[in-house]
Amino acid sequence: MIQPVAMQDFFITFFSSALIILAGASYALLFAWSKVNENFRIKIASYVSYIVLIIAVVLLTRAANFTGYWLSLSVVMVVGYFFAPIGIWHLCVKTHVETSTTLEEKL
Amino acid sequence: MNAKELCGVANAKLDAFVTWTALDRSNLSDGRKLAVNYFIVAVILFFAQLLFGMIAATQFIFPNFLYGFLDFSVNRMVHINAMVVWMLYGFIGCTYWLLEDESQTEIVGLKFGKLAFWVLTIAVAIVVLVYLFIQIGAGNDTTLWLINEGREYIEAPRWADIGIVAVVLTFFYNVVATFSKGKWSGIAGVLTLDLVALAGLYLAGMFYMTNITHEQFWWWWVIHLWVEATWEVLVGVIMAWSLMKLLGVRRKIVTTWLYIEVALMFGSGILGLGHHYFWIGTPEYWLTIGGFFSALEPIPLVAMVVHAVYDSGSHAFKNGNHPALAWVIAHAFGNFFGAGVWGFMHTLPQINLYTHGTQWSASHGHLAFFGAYATINIAFFYLAIQHWRGDVWMSGNAQNAWRWKWALGLLNVGVVGMTIALLIAGYEQSFIERAVEGSTWSGYFTAQNHPSFQSAMVWRWFFGLMTFAGLILLIWDLLTIGKGETRKMAIVVAERGAGCVSFLSECDHTH
Repeated sequence: MIQPVAMQDFFITFFSSALIILAGASYALLFAWSKVNENFRIKIASYVSYIVLIIAVVLLTRAANFTGYWLSLSVVMVVGYFFAPIGIWHLCVKTHVETSTTLEEKL
Repeated sequence: MNAKELCGVANAKLDAFVTWTALDRSNLSDGRKLAVNYFIVAVILFFAQLLFGMIAATQFIFPNFLYGFLDFSVNRMVHINAMVVWMLYGFIGCTYWLLEDESQTEIVGLKFGKLAFWVLTIAVAIVVLVYLFIQIGAGNDTTLWLINEGREYIEAPRWADIGIVAVVLTFFYNVVATFSKGKWSGIAGVLTLDLVALAGLYLAGMFYMTNITHEQFWWWWVIHLWVEATWEVLVGVIMAWSLMKLLGVRRKIVTTWLYIEVALMFGSGILGLGHHYFWIGTPEYWLTIGGFFSALEPIPLVAMVVHAVYDSGSHAFKNGNHPALAWVIAHAFGNFFGAGVWGFMHTLPQINLYTHGTQWSASHGHLAFFGAYATINIAFFYLAIQHWRGDVWMSGNAQNAWRWKWALGLLNVGVVGMTIALLIAGYEQSFIERAVEGSTWSGYFTAQNHPSFQSAMVWRWFFGLMTFAGLILLIWDLLTIGKGETRKMAIVVAERGAGCVSFLSECDHTH
């Protein structure tokens, strides 16, 4: 069962939804950048992005009237967007390990 | 002037045009000549898509414009159908283009492929002419078979549907037989499985059901799974091959990530289909399934961001086809914003209740289709034209490079402008028509006549015109880019000390 968004919460619903994706991508971008370029400030900026993401999830949870099992979606977003970039980074590292430099391997 | 003289004049004009372009078909293999045929029709249909889109956009502002001669419903139908078909042509062309290179052999059954191309092209022309000449009238079994099947976005009559499946099966035969004769690879495996789905899923939209919910249930399989799932994988295959050729990325890496993409698609994309099942009479559990899995759909886009940063930090990529690379970058951004941000903004059922089917959907559709599919096709057109010219250097500093830069800018700014204008219109509609007026008939007209909706339609027209100008410039550029250029791309890139040379295998990666 869902409880539709109230009229006064339309904008905050659209805005927070968009912000979740943007903050999630921003966190992923800065996280990856902090790995490429060992800079503490970049790492801090990535965590700031993640905090923005948490705030956006909380706003969406309230505006979209998440109750019952819908609350688990909020948890999935908070946990998933935190660990996804870390997992993907490890995948990048593993898939780029140079196993061979022969021409046949490259093509 | 009689018909024979007219044909003579037309042939002379065509010959003069071919001479002017100075494109040498002897640079192309037989398989790539077929691919180029698909690309040419794709560009013509791209032009038709924008032309009919502009007419429809004009009718939003001046409802009597061409009324009774070329109705809005027909313009909208041709606008969307042309988009679907030109992208399909582009993808088929891309596949024929990479097939010989990937399989290391000539295309098997190419004559059937050529026949299928002409069958499809003639069928498309007939279908569009019938749309234009028979615009209104009662629907019955005869019209369903011969004129219009009546399903939004896939209106092609039944005979054309059967033709599309036959053409896709021929295409499938070309691909599978060629890989079977030549070399199999991870890309070949994913492509083959995807083409099974491409032909199979289209069948879901070919049978008529009297229950509207049943009808919509299967219809969405074509619209969502065919367009959003099988096309996404096809784009993944094309991107994987292009990245090897454009940036010299190793095969093992692109193949692994192609598998990951397919896994993510199965994990989130297929059940994300549920967000189309919210309001068509299906059981309530689709609200939950659609909502949850739609929230997971942006994960591949996040993966893309991480991977892009990883690569930029690990490699010093150089390439010899700057317009193609610029369009690949536009693809990454367009896909992220169009599909990811614009999609998730209104996909949860709590808000989708108000936005579904408003201009909000059109806003999402414009940016997502352009970002995810149009951009990658255009990037491939530039790859093809470079090879057609004899692998010449195509850089951002070359003579007349302003054309591709301006085309890129006009098309992207135009589409983003239309997206914003439609977003404003959709917001107003979902607020006034849906929430305040409760989806009533009077609410519909109140929203349509609201100043913010009407001014949004004017802005959409303006940015549509900008997009149209961008396309004309793009066509001009595709016909002329590299003309007169004698420097070979490989030599120029090598001279500049590139770490990786496009279209070459001698790439030296530093990890």
